[in-house]
Amino acid sequence: MSKIRIYGRAEWPGIVEAEALVSPKPLEGFTNVDSEKGYTTERNHPLFKVPYTGKVLVYPSPRGSGGFMGYARGAVPAAFLHTEGNGLSIAAAATAQIPSMTDFDVDPCSVIETGDWVLVNADEGFVEITKKD
Amino acid sequence: MIDVKLNDAEKRMLQGEDGLVPQLTMQWLVEMCQVAGTDTIIDLDGTGDFHTPWTTMTFHHEISLDELKKLTAAGGVFKIPTFSNKSPFTEMSPIHGWEGCDMCSRSHGNGRFDDCDFHEKSMHEEFYVEFRKMGMLQTHSCASYLTASYLPTIGQHCSWNESSAIPYCNAVLGARSNIDGSFATCFLGKAPYYDMHVTENRLATVLVETERLIHTDTEWDLLGFAIGEDCGLAVPAITGTAKPTTTQFCKMNAGMNTGGSIRMYHIPGSTPEAPTLDAAFGGKKPQRTALIGENVLRATYEKLNFHTSDDVDMVYLGCPHLNAVDMMLLARKLEGKKVKIPLWIMTAPWLYNVAKEQGYLKIFEDAGAKLMDGTCMAAMGGVPDYVHNIAVDSAKQSYYITGCYPDDDNRLQVCYGTQDDCVDAALSGKWRGEFKSVGGAF
Repeated sequence: MSKIRIYGRAEWPGIVEAEALVSPKPLEGFTNVDSEKGYTTERNHPLFKVPYTGKVLVYPSPRGSGGFMGYARGAVPAAFLHTEGNGLSIAAAATAQIPSMTDFDVDPCSVIETGDWVLVNADEGFVEITKKD
Repeated sequence: MIDVKLNDAEKRMLQGEDGLVPQLTMQWLVEMCQVAGTDTIIDLDGTGDFHTPWTTMTFHHEISLDELKKLTAAGGVFKIPTFSNKSPFTEMSPIHGWEGCDMCSRSHGNGRFDDCDFHEKSMHEEFYVEFRKMGMLQTHSCASYLTASYLPTIGQHCSWNESSAIPYCNAVLGARSNIDGSFATCFLGKAPYYDMHVTENRLATVLVETERLIHTDTEWDLLGFAIGEDCGLAVPAITGTAKPTTTQFCKMNAGMNTGGSIRMYHIPGSTPEAPTLDAAFGGKKPQRTALIGENVLRATYEKLNFHTSDDVDMVYLGCPHLNAVDMMLLARKLEGKKVKIPLWIMTAPWLYNVAKEQGYLKIFEDAGAKLMDGTCMAAMGGVPDYVHNIAVDSAKQSYYITGCYPDDDNRLQVCYGTQDDCVDAALSGKWRGEFKSVGGAF
């Protein structure tokens, strides 16, 4: 089975393995996330009501209000991986205190697909992806 | 993790030698620097705001009410002029105008916003007694900069916390802020040094062009959402617009930070860091050009409309909170009229008495409309139970309010258009708004 390793910067340390859920569109919080049920409630969003709890949530960037940290409370993902970020993703990592990484050598959204098995090693700064097929 | 550079005073605070609150807030600050990937702390010389009464932004390193009382008894103050964002969390009740709003608090069990006891508790006065001793100015608005009467100046480092306000600070005022306003940053007068504090990160990378001249409020609102979706986290330089009014800046900023996360932009000739297009890009070439043409504006308009029925149950205006001129103009439209369905008008609490003294409140009330302040529909967590189709003139409110109703059995419909369309809907109960092509009066 092929494995791909990419390297990035840890925002929050820790090591976890889980299935990936990839959002092709930037994620938005506030009323557009249900923290208790663990899914986005944004209309028209490709991940509308798709549960992220316990998954490695991979997304291109955060958007919208400071309520983005709704993804970081309640039924949280196993880890956050994102292509780029700002104060919203930083606050989310510091709130959830789950392994979180960004600033990769290869865009995680381009190499990880939903259903891939992902080892996030934020302690050593790499992610290892096992493709689903 | 990164080793954050600390001076002697910061080390003392971190070690707890100055007491528990300086220690907790310094721990938080160091942690935020590490997450952000910076080893540098910047001393703030501008202003701050945060979501009150929360004493931490990330729910760690929280400061209890008892500790807060000890701090104020010992003379502790905010190191920078500090303002409060929206109405107190978590209830986010209107500060004024809550009586008779006929609405349940969907996030607080059987609580009702029009219940006197619920309202009193939701004000969390026990915290504000202490915050005021520390110097907090209780503006309670997403647009607190509109009523603050004190704004940061060009180049000053700030710590704000409201997505629609961040570009007002960075792009419109030329001050510098990330979205990190919190008890800690305001108390310490310090913030992590990264992103918008750093000069080179503020330069434009994307050139935005339009096909029509953007000049009406709704065009600015649509443009904002569309730029947000197109540009994500980039810094755009926007061309093809008239000079924006204060209201239009606010509308675009809110739209941008709903469609995307635009914390800085340039409008050559209008914003302080872009006397020219060339200056906006720091003399470099744009990485790309984004055309927000007619097809994009139309698609955005259609995206912001989410309804199958033209029968409207309620109209909401005031996202972001209306300023005094907005209320004057709206009063003109409503004077001598009678609404057929509820019309809520939201402003900043410090403008409520202005509306009263200016006579706008009476005009609104005589028309059957309701003036409220300090919060918004989405912040209140939904709409009154009788509402199944709401009309708004704000991309931000349109896009967030439906998030409260994701299930098929209680789906909320939204009509989005101009303020005139919304006023017409309030007077008739019908939605007649439509996209206006170039040359149409929007």
